[in-house]
Amino acid sequence: MMATIFATTLLAFVSGWRRHGRWSLLFFFASLALAGGLFLYEIYSPEYGFHMPWLQTYDARPAGSAVCT
Amino acid sequence: MHLKLDILAETRAASTDRRLAAINHTAMLLMMVAIAAILTVAIIFQYVKGELPCPLCLLERVALFGVCFGIMRNFRHGFAYRNTGLSLLWTIFLLVVSVRQSLLDIYPRPGHAYIGSPIFGIHMPVWSIIIALALLVAYAIKVTLVGSDAFMRTADIATFPTLKRIADADRAHYDRLAAILTNAGQTPTRANLPHVLSLCSTPPRASRCTLPER
Repeated sequence: MMATIFATTLLAFVSGWRRHGRWSLLFFFASLALAGGLFLYEIYSPEYGFHMPWLQTYDARPAGSAVCT
Repeated sequence: MHLKLDILAETRAASTDRRLAAINHTAMLLMMVAIAAILTVAIIFQYVKGELPCPLCLLERVALFGVCFGIMRNFRHGFAYRNTGLSLLWTIFLLVVSVRQSLLDIYPRPGHAYIGSPIFGIHMPVWSIIIALALLVAYAIKVTLVGSDAFMRTADIATFPTLKRIADADRAHYDRLAAILTNAGQTPTRANLPHVLSLCSTPPRASRCTLPER
């Protein structure tokens, strides 16, 4: 998959250099879509989904127990 | 008398336009050279120091190539804000990927750590965030400085021979880098599994570390 993304990017560069504007843009957006898809695939975990449970963003203490120092 | 003043004003305006075009081309060229240097360092780390990249690192490299794609289109086909938009799309993608990767590794726990050796005490995913923000700031400054684009439509980079030579050399360098990365060997395989797992920051069961059979 990664090799396909790099190959698509390379094709976008080459077709752009050869002044095939439409093909160049087509390969460009294809590589962007593939890269976006692969990114979502890579960050998805069967256990956590897209969540990041190692980042605690809430205060676990009961309300009103927070101490200001 | 009026005719003389008009000619003088036109000459002055043309000179300003040419100066703005030179600033614009130089700014884009500097961005392209900086990104080429970053990609070259990444490839040196991979092939010389043996630090294999994870899939998210590779996506960040693709994003850097994408940013340069928009810049190169400006050089090749003439200036258009569409090309700036293409570069910005990849810059945003780079920012999203690098922030997600940093959040993945930010909390030290068994089997999780930043990949590779730090540069100036900062690891590559965090550098990628800095690079993406620097690119956004650079674009913001460029648009602020040379916001009116009327003069850019007639100022091809070919009218600046030195900048054109540097751009051509840099473009050839990008072709080489893209060819190296497209070739086999950039993807972790079963053969180097222990080494890859020692570098990878997610557990083997997560999709990010599943390696292809070869």
